[in-house]
Amino acid sequence: MEYILHILILIGIYIILSISLNLIAGYTGLLSIAHAAFYGIGAYVAALMALNLHSPFLVNIVCAIILSGLLGAMVGIPSLRIRDDYFVIATFAFQVISFSILNNWVSFTGGPMGLPGIPQPTIFGLTISSHLGFLLLIGFFCALIFWLSHRIVQSPFGRVLKAIREDEVFAQAAGKNVAAFKVLVFVIGAGMAAIAGVMYVYYISFIDPSSFTVMESIFIISVVIVGGAGSLWGPVIGAVVLVVLPELLRFIGLPSFVAANVRQILYGGLLVAFMMWRPHGFLGKYAFQSGEARE
Amino acid sequence: MAQFITNILITASSIVLVGLGFSLIYRTTKFFDLAYAFLFMAGPYFVLLLNSHLGFVLHLAVFLSVIIVGLIGVLLDTLIYRPLRRRNASALVLLLSSLGVYVILQNVISLVFGDENISIRFGKIEQGINILGAKITSIQILLIGLSVAAIVTTSMLIRYTRIGLAIRAVSSSPELANVSGMQSERVIFWATFMSSIIVGIAGILVAIDVNMNPTMGMNALMVGIVVVLVGGMGSIPGVVLGALFLGSAQHLGVWVIGSQWQDAIAFVILLAFLLIKPEGFMGKKIRKATA
Repeated sequence: MEYILHILILIGIYIILSISLNLIAGYTGLLSIAHAAFYGIGAYVAALMALNLHSPFLVNIVCAIILSGLLGAMVGIPSLRIRDDYFVIATFAFQVISFSILNNWVSFTGGPMGLPGIPQPTIFGLTISSHLGFLLLIGFFCALIFWLSHRIVQSPFGRVLKAIREDEVFAQAAGKNVAAFKVLVFVIGAGMAAIAGVMYVYYISFIDPSSFTVMESIFIISVVIVGGAGSLWGPVIGAVVLVVLPELLRFIGLPSFVAANVRQILYGGLLVAFMMWRPHGFLGKYAFQSGEARE
Repeated sequence: MAQFITNILITASSIVLVGLGFSLIYRTTKFFDLAYAFLFMAGPYFVLLLNSHLGFVLHLAVFLSVIIVGLIGVLLDTLIYRPLRRRNASALVLLLSSLGVYVILQNVISLVFGDENISIRFGKIEQGINILGAKITSIQILLIGLSVAAIVTTSMLIRYTRIGLAIRAVSSSPELANVSGMQSERVIFWATFMSSIIVGIAGILVAIDVNMNPTMGMNALMVGIVVVLVGGMGSIPGVVLGALFLGSAQHLGVWVIGSQWQDAIAFVILLAFLLIKPEGFMGKKIRKATA
């Protein structure tokens, strides 16, 4: 039972991460390899505040969202000047720099050894300690973020995002402040990813930089792509498939020391396969082709 | 001081090889092929396999490994990127699939050889010889010599041979090159083979000089990309200048704030260039940057 709850919690965390990346990469067309950095900043802000300031859960989550959002704005800014694969490389740079800071600023982040003993969260006097409690908490945030993302993409704001993805010059010509929209979608996406980070760190009650590597970013991208970029339910389906699939390997009796590698081979394979045969994923509307390439 | 300059030269030489291979392939296929990180790291592992496990003489093992890496590069291009190109896949789709390829192959290497650092240093550890007060080992001299040779050979090939002419033609306009009777796919084939070989050599030399692990490729490739972008896409002098610049910046950085920040330094430089001067030192204006 514990095991099933654990899997559901992980699915919830990846749903939050992939919905938030989907807003940036799927709806706006700004592919980013920096998502694990937002996830990590959120997690570290909450962990450090809980450990050093003993501040309550709700304060920590708000601070995590704000700080990660600020980083999001920073990552979004290069998109005003560079496009496509150049921009991907720029987000990659942010990812590597963030990881470097988490890993090397030992006196502040604990470095590769990580920080143990993060206390259980207390919300309105209620301490969450069981798996079921965490699942409910994460389920609540999943629903909230799904609803938010639904509202965003249905709104005029969301239509502008799609217009930027399809034809940036057109959006500009229609009088939209493309720069502001791009930066703002990064702030929103990064803020949402921070929530996933906070959930993760309270749930595991330990944090180290190895959870927030480039590979993690690639994994989140795979979730979005498999589910379908630019669709509302795509990330949800992607998260279920990509979290459950490797767990099945456990049942066919794969030894644990190869499991991590096989898991990565699996999602690398999915990434290639989907790019070759179904770039818009299960449900997607967007296949990472810009307007001019499609003609 | 002499030691400092020598160290910069050694670092710059290994960077320049990756940058050279990468700039050659980027100018023909026009996307960031992250699978080159695998090709870089595969070289030394094949040497290890052929030399230690199958008993080939070291020199033969190195030679065979380089060829194998070249063939893998060509194979990946034929099996994966060519079908995608035929469908007019965007640079992003190609980049994402190369990312997938890298993830798969890197993990295969991890599974087979393990994640720990392995040394393929051969013979006994040398003291290094003194040149003008700087210590340098023979493998480091070989590294510098080979990278100079590679720069000269590649420049010559690009400038004076028919295949070089074809590569230049395809990189400036694939359609036009096709119209004038050059088969762009064949040109890409040869460019892929050449660049894979260069990157493979770089990987082996670096592994012999320091040591190797399955993730060494990504770091090297990223540094290579930084150099290509900083130097300017498609310019060999730019790559050399970029490598010297990055090599110096990294050594200065290590000296001032510590070696663990090497990657961060490279990427901060990259971001600065992408934001301020996306065409690099010597490149032409690019379409992907709106200045």
